[in-house]
Amino acid sequence: MIESIKDSPLYPIAKPQSIAIFGASNNVTTMGTGLLGSLLDLGFTGEIYPIHPKEDQVLNLKAYRSVLDLPTVPDLALIVLPTRIVSETMDACGRKGIKHAIVISGGFKEVGNEGITLEKELVAVAQRYGIRFLGPNCIGVTTPRHKLNTTFMTYEGAAGFIGMASQSGSFVTQMFNYLSRHALGFSTAFSVGNEANIDIVDCLEYLSACPDTRVIALYIEGIRRGRAFVETARSIVPKKPIVALYVGGSETGRRAGFSHTGALAGPDRLYEGIFRQSGIIRAQSIIELFDICWMLGSPHRTAGRRVVIQTHSGGPGAEAADACGRLGLELPPLSSETIKRLSSLIPHTGSIGNPVDFTFGKNMMDYFSAIPEVLLEEQNADVLLYYFSMPNRTLERMLRHMGVPSDQIAEMAPELLDAQCDAIIRLVETHDKPFVGYTFQSIYDKLVRRVVERGIPIFQGPERAARAIAAAFQYTRLRDKILASVSPSVSPSVSQR
Amino acid sequence: MTKAANIKKEKRADDLIRSALKRQQQALSEYEAKKLLGLYGIPVTKERLSRSADEAVAAAADLGFPVVLKACSPKLMHKSEHGCIELNLRSKEDIREAYGRIVGSVDLELEGVLVQEMVPGQRELVIGLARDPQFGPCVMLGIGGIMTEVFEDTVFRMAPFDMIEAKDMTEELRYKRILDAFRGQKPVDMQTLCRALRAVGQIGLELEAVSELDINPLIITPQGRVKAVDALVILRRDGNDRID
Repeated sequence: MIESIKDSPLYPIAKPQSIAIFGASNNVTTMGTGLLGSLLDLGFTGEIYPIHPKEDQVLNLKAYRSVLDLPTVPDLALIVLPTRIVSETMDACGRKGIKHAIVISGGFKEVGNEGITLEKELVAVAQRYGIRFLGPNCIGVTTPRHKLNTTFMTYEGAAGFIGMASQSGSFVTQMFNYLSRHALGFSTAFSVGNEANIDIVDCLEYLSACPDTRVIALYIEGIRRGRAFVETARSIVPKKPIVALYVGGSETGRRAGFSHTGALAGPDRLYEGIFRQSGIIRAQSIIELFDICWMLGSPHRTAGRRVVIQTHSGGPGAEAADACGRLGLELPPLSSETIKRLSSLIPHTGSIGNPVDFTFGKNMMDYFSAIPEVLLEEQNADVLLYYFSMPNRTLERMLRHMGVPSDQIAEMAPELLDAQCDAIIRLVETHDKPFVGYTFQSIYDKLVRRVVERGIPIFQGPERAARAIAAAFQYTRLRDKILASVSPSVSPSVSQR
Repeated sequence: MTKAANIKKEKRADDLIRSALKRQQQALSEYEAKKLLGLYGIPVTKERLSRSADEAVAAAADLGFPVVLKACSPKLMHKSEHGCIELNLRSKEDIREAYGRIVGSVDLELEGVLVQEMVPGQRELVIGLARDPQFGPCVMLGIGGIMTEVFEDTVFRMAPFDMIEAKDMTEELRYKRILDAFRGQKPVDMQTLCRALRAVGQIGLELEAVSELDINPLIITPQGRVKAVDALVILRRDGNDRID
C-alpha cells in the first residue's frame, strides 16, 4: 500500500502540471476538441500543448506539429485519436520521455478480433518506455480541485469528498449535475476503460491515500485482479469506507459445473460475498450508491443501529419507523430522563415516544433546537433521524397571520430560516451523534438547501434515509470485523501482475 | 497442525488424487472424497466399503445399527437421483436385501457398496468449492441438502480466510437461525463448522487438481455436531486454468 498519492502512477494522471493533447483541432464537432474545450472550461492552470499535424493554433492555444517539438516534457499525454494511430503516438510520447498517458480512444479489446491485437501492441509500446496509462476506451479523469477534467462534459458544482473509480465509460460525467444538486462532488473520479495498464486496484490505492477523499465509490462490471482487489480493499476499509455498485454479472462467462457449488457460483452471489469479505458496502442502485456516500462522507459517519425519530407529522414518522424496522434498525424506547425533558416541549396533542411527534406547538423554534438537542443526548439512541418540513410559503403566511406587516415578512422569513438552520448546524457541530434528515420537499427549498450546503445529509423520503443509516451501521461492523482479524489482509502476499 | 503433519497430509491427499487420475477418474468416489475431507480435519460419517452382502453385514455390526447403504463409484456423481441409496437399515436382513437392490439398480461397475452410520438430524447445510478465474478458489456455504437450489440461500468467500470471516459467512445466511438452538436441538458447533469452511478453502489452495467440491449434506445433529454425510470431488486433468 502506498503512503502518499505521489507514489501512485495515477498521481501525474490526476494532478498533472502540463498536458499534451492529441486529437483536438479547430473542428468543434470532434471528441478531441470537445475534451480540450472541457479542460479549458474548468480553467486548468497548467500548460496545455495541443499536438496537430497541420494547425498552428488550436482553440487559441499554440499547437505543435509533433510531440517531439515540445519545449518541455509534459507530465501527461491525452490521446483522443483514431485507433490505428494510437500506438505510434504512444511511441512518440515515449521517445519524448513522457511517462503517463490517458488513452480515450476506443476500438481495442472491447471490439474483439483486431482490437485485441491493437491493444497488445499498445501495451507493449507503453512497456518499452515505462509509460503508465489509463484506458484505452475510457473518458479519463476529473480532479475538480486541480481544475482538471479530461471528460467531454463540463464539470458542474464544487469539488467534493467522493473518490470514484468506474468501469462504465461516461458514467462519472453523468453524475456531475446530480451530485452538484446534492451539494456533493468528486475529489477525483477515474474512468478505467479496458484497464490495459492501470486498473481499478491502482485506483483504490490512489483514492485510499488521497487526502481529499472521505469515501470511495466504485462502479464495477468485473474485477480482473480479484485477489489483489480483496487485499487492497481490506487494508483501506479500516480508515475509509468503500461503496460499490455491481449490477448483475453476465451469466455467459459462467462455466457449467458438475457440482451444486459450481451451479450456484453465479457472479452476482460471488460478488456479494467478495464485497462483504472485502469490507465493501454494496449499493443496489446508482441513487443508493451516492446516498450512502453522502451519509458516509458526512461529519459523523459511523453509527449504531438504534434510531430515534423526530417528526411533527404522523405519516412521515410512521413510514420512517417502518423503514427502519425493515432495514434491521432498532427504535429504542426513550429514557426516563429524555421523557422528563420533553414533557415541557411537546404539546399534549403530540406524542413522547419513538417517533417523537411534535404535531403543532406554540413555540416553533423548539422543533429546531430544544427538541433535537434532547434527542441527540438520548443515551438509548445512536442516530437522530429528523423530519424537515417548513415550506417557505407557509412560514410567510404564519408571519402574516401573526400580524407582521407585509413589508417586513420578506425580511423576517429568511431570518427565521437562518435561525432554524443555524440551530441545526450548532447542534450537529456540538454533538457526536449522527444527525440524518429526511424530507419530501425539494432539495432547493430554502431551509433544506441551507442545511444540505453545510454538509448535512437530508434524504428524499425516510426509506432512503433509513437505508443510508443502515449502511453506516454496516460500515461500522465491516470495519470492526476487519480490525478484529489478526492481519487485515487475508493472506501474507499477493502478486498477480 | 504442525508443519511436518501438514506436509504429510498434503502428500497423502496428493497420492489419493494422483491414483484416481491414473485410473482416468473424473471425480473421486464418495469413499475417496470422505478420506480427503478427513485428512483436512472435516468430520465425516463413519463408513466401510464392502464388496459383498456378508461384508456389508459385518461392517454394519461394527458400526452399529441403523446404517445407510450407498452404491460407491467415481462415476456416480448424484446418487439420490439413481435410487442407489438405502436409508435407515436396522437388521442383517434389511442389509442383505438392500445390498441386492443397490447392486441391481446401477448399470456400472462399482467400487463397492458403502456402509455408513446413519446420522440423525433434520438440519442440513451444503459446503462447496468453486474456482473463479479472477478470485481463485472460493468457498460456498448454504442452507439446504437436497433443498439447496430451492432455498438459494448461499454465501461465498475467497480462500483463504480466517475464523472471523468464516463466522461472518454463517451470519450472512438468510436462514441463519437454523444454526441456533432449534426445537430442542442444540446450536451448531460453530467452531467446527468454521474450521470446515476454512479447510475446504485450504483444499482449493493446495490441491490444483480439485476443480469443484460439494459436501452435501453436512448434517447438524440434534447435539449440534456437524458431519459430512455425502461428498463429491470433481477432478481436472490439467492445471491449466489455475490463476496466476
